[in-house]
Amino acid sequence: MNKRSTIKIARIIDEAEDIKSFVFAHDLTAKPGQFIMLTDFEGGEKPFSIADCTSNEFMITVKRIGEFTTRLFQKQVGDYVSVRGPFGSSFFVSDGNVLLVGGGYGTPPLYFLAKELLQNGAKVTVVNGAKSKEDLVFCNKFRELGVEYQNITQLGCLGREGTSVDLAEKAMEKQKFDHVYAAGPEMMMKALQPLLKDLEYEFLFERYMKCAIGICGNCTIDPIGIRLCVEGPVLPKKLVEQLTEFGKYHRDATGKRIEF
Amino acid sequence: MHKRLKTKFLGVELESPLVLPAGVMGMSFSGMDIARINGAGIITSKSLTLQPRTGHKGPVIAEFEGGILNCMGLCNPGISNGLLEVNEFKKRSRTPVIVSVFATNTEDFLMLAKEVNNSRGDFLELNLSCPNVFDEFGIPLAASKDEVFKIVKAVKESSRLPVIAKLSPNVYNIVEIALAAQKAGADALCLINTVGPGMAIDAKMVKPVLFNKFGGLSGPCIKPIALKLIYQTHSAVDIPILGMGGVTYGIDAVEMLMAGATTIGVGTAVYYRGIEVFEKINNEIIEFLDENGYETVEDILKLEKLKL
Repeated sequence: MNKRSTIKIARIIDEAEDIKSFVFAHDLTAKPGQFIMLTDFEGGEKPFSIADCTSNEFMITVKRIGEFTTRLFQKQVGDYVSVRGPFGSSFFVSDGNVLLVGGGYGTPPLYFLAKELLQNGAKVTVVNGAKSKEDLVFCNKFRELGVEYQNITQLGCLGREGTSVDLAEKAMEKQKFDHVYAAGPEMMMKALQPLLKDLEYEFLFERYMKCAIGICGNCTIDPIGIRLCVEGPVLPKKLVEQLTEFGKYHRDATGKRIEF
Repeated sequence: MHKRLKTKFLGVELESPLVLPAGVMGMSFSGMDIARINGAGIITSKSLTLQPRTGHKGPVIAEFEGGILNCMGLCNPGISNGLLEVNEFKKRSRTPVIVSVFATNTEDFLMLAKEVNNSRGDFLELNLSCPNVFDEFGIPLAASKDEVFKIVKAVKESSRLPVIAKLSPNVYNIVEIALAAQKAGADALCLINTVGPGMAIDAKMVKPVLFNKFGGLSGPCIKPIALKLIYQTHSAVDIPILGMGGVTYGIDAVEMLMAGATTIGVGTAVYYRGIEVFEKINNEIIEFLDENGYETVEDILKLEKLKL
């Protein structure tokens, strides 16, 4: 049973333009890649990847994009919100030489992953990309972990112009990785996939989610009926390779197909 | 698949008596297909409406010890998109599909039935009983025997497919409504839809948990209500009953067959036991057959049913 917990916001951190992290003093017992459903009971319950989690705290990182997140941004430390979860599959925590590829505000769950990987003795390289430097998140957090870290923006505001896929390609030319992890826009992962060839990889998918407990069918991916809230959101190579809708279309709240 | 589970529903051969009910997983062809692969003998689409619906805002699920409350709010991609998914599913499989449709008046039901006539669906289910759209549409049609009679009769006259009326448990006398549906020509009945609706409250925030405030109740706690209503209805009508409500284990399915159902829906149990639940219940039914000296599911269906 996935109990609902109504908990207070313990800390709020400004990460970048229109991006904030919310920390809760609550033992969520989550694994990297998993997500929660969060609501304030004022209309809407949304999925959020877990950006960090310890035995007594967890964190989500939120981009302000609509009505729901605007309301969340007005909350103060000490205000209540209600969460369900954690839900879904998690990343395999390797002990080898690994590459993490992040894009935009999709990157935060890779921070939680990087911490677990380091603890497991993995050698971690992170490449992080965004549209502009205002959209780039967690640069300092990754640097403080002591991982090999590079970032880039599409507008070139940090001196380098391109995407995290460009950085990943260069990193893979220089060294041999055992495992690649990606979280970010689906089209970023779509561009990354052909470069990975024989490499093992896992991608974190973001889709419209409604029930989060595997019954409503809203987040099912074609043609193999993978439910992203149960078998996902982290999918391994052998499943990603079977997806015909990957990078082509997703479904809206009605279940209608929407092309990317 | 399992010879001993083979049965028939309205003359159509089934690999298993288990049904994926409306509202569960049936949004896309692949969602329907994964239920089939895992052992469902009939697949039901989401309840389709003339126009796409986003359904209610979240939270749409509130869980408690005995089951869950949901107020999905009939989210569905609309009849034309929904039938594309049904047709795509039927291209891949011969498993029968029930196309479920929802409307609030005869005219709209007739338009939906016309669309379904041109699809690859096998059965047409009239959802007369969604409990989660009260604010929008008022009391469910299944609350009135006259409304049920009028709609079933009209649809029956223009539907190419056998018609199943999905009834509500939230009525004073389900038998008179079932009889009205039968008199109007319904080929089968589907019962029960979710119970209540009920409510959950978040005490810390002093708010209803569901944004829609109320939601239909499903899961193990509604099984006794389902058994009672199926038993009562079966004793009164001559048409087959697609029974559902709280079926979680094989023994629940067997009990429901004994109460008078010919096929059994498994919905909320997908949450409790995974999408593999159909295969698990299939196997548990076979175990029951073994342990109790029955050869096939048909032997249970042939039993002199408990009579009122």
